[in-house]
Amino acid sequence: MADTGTGTRRILRLDERGTAGPGGRTDEVVLGLSPAFGDFFTKTIVDIPHAEVLRELLAGIEEQGVHARVIRFRGGSDLAVIAHAAAKLSGSGIGVGVLSRGTTMIHQKDLVRLSNLELFPQAPLMDLDAFRKIGRNAARYAKGESPEPVPARNDFMARPRWQAKAALLHIKETEFVVPGADPVELDVRFQLADAG
Amino acid sequence: MTLVAGVDIGNSTTEACVAELAASGEVTYLGSALAPTSGVKGTADNVEGVVTVVGRALAAAGRRLAELDTVLVNEATPVISGLAMETITETIVTESTMIGHNPDTPGGAGLGVGTTVDFGALGECAPGEPVICVVGAGVDFEDAAHGLNAAVARGVEVAGAVVHADDATLIVNRLDSPVPVVDEVTLVEKVPLGMPAAVEVAEQGRTIRTLSNSYGIATVFGLDAEQTRMVAPVARALVGNRSAVVVRTPEGDVTGRRIPAGSLTLAGERGTRSVAVDEGAAEIMGVLRGVRPLTDASGEPGTHVGGMLARVRDTMSELTGTEPAAVRIQDVLAVDTFVPQRVTGALAGEFALENAVGLAAMVRTSRGPMRLLAARLREALGVDVLIGGVEADMAVLGALTTPGTGTPVAILDLGGGSTDAAVAERTGVTRSVHLAGAGDLVTKLIDSELGLDNRELAEDIKKYPLAKAESFFHVRMEDGTARFVTEPLPAETFARVVVLSDAGMRPVPGRHSLEKIRQVRRSAKHKVFVVNALRALEQVAPGGNLRQIGFVVVLGGSALDFEVPDLIAEAVSGLGIVCGTGNVRGSEGPRNAVATGLVAAHALAAGLDQAVGE
Amino acid sequence: MTTSARRSKRTEALEQRPVNLDGFVEEWPEVGMVAMESPYDPEPGVRVEDGVIVELDGRPRAEFDFLDQFIADHALDIEATERAMAIPAVDIAHLLVDPRATRQDVLAVSRGLTPAKLLEVVKTMNVVEMMMALQKMRARRTPANQAHATSARDNPVQVAADAAEASLRGFRELETTLGVVRYAPLVAIALQVGSQAGTPGVLTQCALEEATELELGMRGITAYAETISVYGTEPVFCDGDDTPWSKAFLASAYASRGIKMRFTSGTGSEVQMGNAEGRSMLYLEIRCILVTKGAGVQGLQNGSISCIGVPGAVPGGIRAVLAENLIASMVDLECASGNDQSFSHSDLRRAARLLPQLLPGTDFVCSGYSSTPNYDNMFAGSNVDAEDFDDWNTIQRDLQVDGGLRHVPEAELLAVRNRAARALQGVFAHLGLPPITDKEVEEVTYAHGSKDLPLRDVLEDLKAAQSVMDRGVTGLDIVKGLEASGFGDMAHNLLAILRHRVSGDLLHTSAILTPELETLSAVNDSNDYAGPGSGYRPSGARWEEMKRLRHVVSAQNPEREVG
Repeated sequence: MADTGTGTRRILRLDERGTAGPGGRTDEVVLGLSPAFGDFFTKTIVDIPHAEVLRELLAGIEEQGVHARVIRFRGGSDLAVIAHAAAKLSGSGIGVGVLSRGTTMIHQKDLVRLSNLELFPQAPLMDLDAFRKIGRNAARYAKGESPEPVPARNDFMARPRWQAKAALLHIKETEFVVPGADPVELDVRFQLADAG
Repeated sequence: MTLVAGVDIGNSTTEACVAELAASGEVTYLGSALAPTSGVKGTADNVEGVVTVVGRALAAAGRRLAELDTVLVNEATPVISGLAMETITETIVTESTMIGHNPDTPGGAGLGVGTTVDFGALGECAPGEPVICVVGAGVDFEDAAHGLNAAVARGVEVAGAVVHADDATLIVNRLDSPVPVVDEVTLVEKVPLGMPAAVEVAEQGRTIRTLSNSYGIATVFGLDAEQTRMVAPVARALVGNRSAVVVRTPEGDVTGRRIPAGSLTLAGERGTRSVAVDEGAAEIMGVLRGVRPLTDASGEPGTHVGGMLARVRDTMSELTGTEPAAVRIQDVLAVDTFVPQRVTGALAGEFALENAVGLAAMVRTSRGPMRLLAARLREALGVDVLIGGVEADMAVLGALTTPGTGTPVAILDLGGGSTDAAVAERTGVTRSVHLAGAGDLVTKLIDSELGLDNRELAEDIKKYPLAKAESFFHVRMEDGTARFVTEPLPAETFARVVVLSDAGMRPVPGRHSLEKIRQVRRSAKHKVFVVNALRALEQVAPGGNLRQIGFVVVLGGSALDFEVPDLIAEAVSGLGIVCGTGNVRGSEGPRNAVATGLVAAHALAAGLDQAVGE
Repeated sequence: MTTSARRSKRTEALEQRPVNLDGFVEEWPEVGMVAMESPYDPEPGVRVEDGVIVELDGRPRAEFDFLDQFIADHALDIEATERAMAIPAVDIAHLLVDPRATRQDVLAVSRGLTPAKLLEVVKTMNVVEMMMALQKMRARRTPANQAHATSARDNPVQVAADAAEASLRGFRELETTLGVVRYAPLVAIALQVGSQAGTPGVLTQCALEEATELELGMRGITAYAETISVYGTEPVFCDGDDTPWSKAFLASAYASRGIKMRFTSGTGSEVQMGNAEGRSMLYLEIRCILVTKGAGVQGLQNGSISCIGVPGAVPGGIRAVLAENLIASMVDLECASGNDQSFSHSDLRRAARLLPQLLPGTDFVCSGYSSTPNYDNMFAGSNVDAEDFDDWNTIQRDLQVDGGLRHVPEAELLAVRNRAARALQGVFAHLGLPPITDKEVEEVTYAHGSKDLPLRDVLEDLKAAQSVMDRGVTGLDIVKGLEASGFGDMAHNLLAILRHRVSGDLLHTSAILTPELETLSAVNDSNDYAGPGSGYRPSGARWEEMKRLRHVVSAQNPEREVG
């Protein structure tokens, strides 16, 4: 269904570098990945490769001249918890949580966990452009700017097609939760698989 | 002792006060109330609102309806206003001469000059050739950077780039030697290739220096005097930008076209004159001053202004139930404004602030239904109903209950649709005037100048002060002070400019800074309320001389505005006038003046009014 | 992709079929992704000591979660339970299907059945048997239907006209909700007014957060309530800051004012939230049904509702959805049986999902047939919408089953749409709400959806909506407004509906009002199905009405059409 837009296939390499700590720089955004993102799972509910998702999020942040850190949240699969944990580790207080199926949220450290800055609940409607814009907006929040929220999309025929698969993906992701485990810092590398 | 109620039926609010009159003529005010007006002012539909408000005022006074002797109602002539707005200029770019937009994040810094070449054709460029690379849609930023680096490695002099996607920083971060890059050029495919071009990006927080200067462009492209004259509009259009691209094409041009908006014909007691709407507000108001008082206004058929006035007329005819042809426009207020519009022929969705004229028009309608209203009211309340004197006279009487006032006094009644003024001289002579344009026009100006397209939000911006939510625990108020809160602010307000409305903080979407929104708000209020206040006072002042007015009392719903009374006071302070917001009976603020005046007038000369139906 | 293998042209054709846009998943019973056949559901069982249930479906009282406790203490008939539980499941299923056993015979047993036992009973039944049982167990003898009337722009004029059309087409309950919640008072008034312009006696409700929904009901701006959700596991219940007791308290608030209300639940919600506790969707839904019963509420909207994509994606899922409707009916609850959410891209599948409720008939076959085109449906789309009216009427006629609707000639529809809009115009003027122009009345008369209508002044409408709440406008003010603007008959109808809350008749199970404004419920219209030749069958005037369609060739003169 989803075409990544390039003929190039990138392979995502995520190397753990120990427990993630709070960031010192105020010009950073922390991306919090769900337990199985880019690991057991390799693509979103509509088959967008996780490598491309992460690359676009990072590009959106870099384009704004903001620094990014990536962590894996291992202690839960609830998006609000992941995004909030990322925000609390972020020097700017801005974090982005992303689930394997593509559901994404921008969070801020002072908000209550159940709240958020921007939420993109419909994973099937998330495309690369949306991920780029989410990275951009997160970075702009980190700079103290007031970005227009990325338009949330809606499609009532998404229910018959995706509702059950989304439930399965959620449950499966939850199996990779290690209760109480600390988030870990990740080294992100993209490698070209083959030149299209 | 008799118990009376004064009732003022306004366009949007009905107000009442209840008072006891002693045989000596002494008045004791017991209570007051207000409620929304039901139906169009001055029609039988008002009964429900009047019944409600009288009931509430009685309740506030601790009295019963059965005790009430008389209800006094103002001569409620409906004043209805209409609004319209039309753009009168248009910026047109031809032949893709310039791209002057401000992407959030252009890349690199400095000026690059070369010949435009498509990214795909970069490999064919000869070494030593200075080029500006045009990167179209669908090219990945890594591929773009790789291609540019490869060309540079071959000796091609890549001087700058123009990019479709929001990729400038991403590309520049990957270049071996950074060059200026302008991105988010949505119609990049329209950039002419093989033409001399210049790309300029300023450092963050600065604006471009070369391409916004006619001689700078002349230097870059080696232009003669005549050619330089031709590019002057381009330079002017780029002033204040952080980034720009100029491509030199044989026919390229930027023009600011005036859109013929038609002419407005103003018929007054002193003659009839026409004025072209694109001459602007000052010219229109000057012509109006020459013919006033106005008896009617019309627009040139088939033009924008013709349509505007026809719409106003239709609305009024619908509201009052009269034929459109019978509607007489008795005042217009023209204001200059600007509207963000997409630049015609632009390559990156640039907006220009185009000039526009906003018009408010006003009619007073017939007094026909008043007697019917009084009769219905009498039926509904079972109490004598008297139609009181002229609204303006009553307002003056009520205003004079404000502590510290004296004659000669002028009142300014700032409503939603119209601005009314009346003056009472020492001799007791009263003059009044109703002018078009008030709170609703201010809302409309704020809405269009900020490009909100949300009248409700514009209304809030008009009514409440602004702040910026700097963290979840404090906001920076528009006066620069910080206000801290203990409970975290709602998420949607974070990092945004917010309106501090009664219902809580409300974020303002868009990129406008707090200063910008504040400036638009204040200038809209100035353009409408201050201009109208002066215009109104001038028309009622003895001999047209404002200095003859000692006191100005500001009344009406818009008098509750947090800054309008101050703006007006400031404007008349040089004329030796004491100006302030009314405080009717020392307790009601700018409300209840007419209702209070009705009771006062009744007490003074009970015999002058005639009971309806007798 | 390298050069792909040659593909069958038939496969290519099949790939293009809309059904392949639907989503399907494998079962995973360990996490509850299974419709009703799970090895992890508990074994049925009950133990009573000293008049208290001390063990329920294998769980001792000490280990009860709050649903177990609520069901054990409030839903099950302790007198009947041990006797009922002793009957083999298959025998109870026979009782359900056998026309010689009456509805009362079943109720005598079902009042004592635990969730696991109810599950075991329906597991022995196929869909045809379930439909047989539902035909008998439906509480009200006469089936009915419910419609959604919403507007993508929350346009009250549209809602009034669509409500009038829906009531003329036969719907007995109408439900609305909002895009912009603050619009609610105006749209609820519009629904109330419009509904009385068609066939009298239609009940209306406005789905909102619970406090506002209750307030509108208490003021008589709405006539019933439906969107009070209950869930089958404790964590999901707690996510909504609720317990069975808090829901029961809310139910009693409605009952205190004589306002009809029902709960809402459905299969799939718990697994969707990832908190199914390893139980099947149907087992958890049965717990919801019994919580509803225990709360003393007369009825339930179920049939998966907004989670239909979950049971719809697993094997036997739509059978489980039928089973949940059946179980609601067999514990003597009114059942508004779903078919109210976008379900499938395939028209064939949409119809197949509908037939198990339409054929036996339920209290409300749809708990929300979209009376607008789906783009205007603010409940996120329904299984059937305004463009399916003719199909629905044809299916009723083909099979001679009563789905509650009828074909109405265009002229009559235009007349009631116009009348509804004019009545609302009068009521708005009477209440001092923003004017409805003659142009709006004209346009809405002929409109299909909100795209065909002039825009309203949203700012003024929202201010007015707030004033309706601030001024304390009630249903009686609407009655007065109708009377004052010359719609005395509609005023009379609405007043009669309001008076019913004083008598409390609408609290009876499955209560609706007839066009003559009489209550029709399981009390005075109890289902007497007893096999062939008995029970409700469309006949007489109703059947003649059902025979009419948009295009039927005249037998008298085949060159003409009747209808």
